[in-house]
Amino acid sequence: MSKKRGIINFLLLVLTVIVFAVVLFPPFMLFLTSIKNNVDALKYPPVWLFKPTSSNYREIFELIPFGSYLLNSFVVAMISTVIALSIGSLAAYGLTRFRFKRSKDLSFWILSIRMTPPVAAAIPIFIIMRNLRLLDTPLALILAYCTFNIPFATWLLRSFFQEIPQEIEESAMVDGCSSFGAFSRIAIPLITPGLAATGIFTFIFSWNEFLFALILTGTRAQTVPVALTGFIRETGVMWSHMAAAGVLAMVPMIIFTALVQRNLVKGLTMGAIK
Amino acid sequence: MIRNLEKYAPYFFIGPAVIMLLLIVIFPLAFSLGVSFCEWNLIRGGSWKFVGLRNYSYFLFHDPYFRTSLKVTLTFVLVAVGLELILGLGVALLLNRPLKRIGLYRTILVIPSTMTPVVVGIIWRLLYNPELGTLNYFLDLLGLPPLNWLGDPNLALPSVIMADIWEWTPFMALILLAGLQALPKDPFEAATIDGASTFQLFRYITLPLLQPTIIVATLLRVMDAFKTFDLVFVLTKGGPGMSTETLSYYTYRYGFKFFHIGYASALSYLLLVIIIIIVQIFVRYLRTGEE
Repeated sequence: MSKKRGIINFLLLVLTVIVFAVVLFPPFMLFLTSIKNNVDALKYPPVWLFKPTSSNYREIFELIPFGSYLLNSFVVAMISTVIALSIGSLAAYGLTRFRFKRSKDLSFWILSIRMTPPVAAAIPIFIIMRNLRLLDTPLALILAYCTFNIPFATWLLRSFFQEIPQEIEESAMVDGCSSFGAFSRIAIPLITPGLAATGIFTFIFSWNEFLFALILTGTRAQTVPVALTGFIRETGVMWSHMAAAGVLAMVPMIIFTALVQRNLVKGLTMGAIK
Repeated sequence: MIRNLEKYAPYFFIGPAVIMLLLIVIFPLAFSLGVSFCEWNLIRGGSWKFVGLRNYSYFLFHDPYFRTSLKVTLTFVLVAVGLELILGLGVALLLNRPLKRIGLYRTILVIPSTMTPVVVGIIWRLLYNPELGTLNYFLDLLGLPPLNWLGDPNLALPSVIMADIWEWTPFMALILLAGLQALPKDPFEAATIDGASTFQLFRYITLPLLQPTIIVATLLRVMDAFKTFDLVFVLTKGGPGMSTETLSYYTYRYGFKFFHIGYASALSYLLLVIIIIIVQIFVRYLRTGEE
């Protein structure tokens, strides 16, 4: 019996190792390609032992303005996150603290907007931005990212507000505190961890977004995902440079995922599963 | 004075979000609904011509490419999400035991789902590359002939699906694992005492109790799979032929390659309607949980 258990446990361990190998192998290949020089990167069969180089990482900043693409991505994600958190926390507080007719319907309407297919929103937003002469500016992307970040932030923060007791706010308001005072001085400090988690999620969504960025930006406001596809050229793919840029796009997201790990399931399911 | 202002407090809190969403989502969507009834080509100049439902009737009855694209999309959604559910459930069951450093495992596991989708595309393009890709190298080691993963019309869609499965199975597994860990212990203990086998435990206790989680995870994935664009753009650009042309990509091509804004708007409304239907099911599900 115990021998059988031992075999089963060993098989489960092997399976677990295989799962993690399958998860990690593809990004590992990307990293490996990023530290190969142009000659090694194009060798077949693939070389596993080679002299690593950091030249690809240096050259993407010299050959193309990758630094400014990183900056664009960062600025757009950051500002869109700040707007989503400000507007979203106000709305989430309002939706959980005031009882009014159809407040539930309003909450679910806001959640539904989160699911709008990007291509459906991108067509009219492209026309509008074109008429406003805002194409190829960070502002156009910031507004476009608010279309999914504001609903997401409202919905997720709503679940954080629901979790904190209302008694302290109520007694403060009996003592003459305004509802904005109760919001900013009592409720917000209590949900700071939730606010941080929500902000990390909206940052990840904005950083990763591709369709809006492809359509709304040209050369000046281009973000990292669009710049990455620029390494695929008519004359061929610049593999090792693209790999280096890909690693630089990927690493911040891995760190952010680790930071938000406790709230990962909640964030990925809009709070449907805790 | 303060009392008077307090009366308007709900508007102060909820107003900004509602106004913002009306401006940046509802107004643009209403605008494109209007455009979807017109013929409007951005290249040929700015004149709109009202054509009623012609754009809709065209893709519904006369556009063979649309039908191909719809078939590609449905196949993609069905096969990808189906396999992701099965594999994700397997991985969740595998990890559902007391593990040290579960936080670290979770973070590593979910890397494919939280990294930039364009990077996922790049990675798989690298692996699939017929001249220097690692997958053909592995086939070679096993003594099998090399495959033209993304270039063969019969193989391109399965290849895109495989990349999608790699990207999203961790998402499924993570959600189902959370669901498994929230299950009550009592039914399992009672059934074990009654002599139920491991398979019976899974079939008659785990699966029924896990059903709500399975449904939520599947609905979320189905909605996302219908919108698939990034992977297709990086891996195949819809080709070869139209073998990987998803609805999102087809709509994008009409709107931003041919600049048939009217037709693209009508197409985008079809996608919107599909998503709204799934959202309604999802919301109904959440509401029964909340009330």
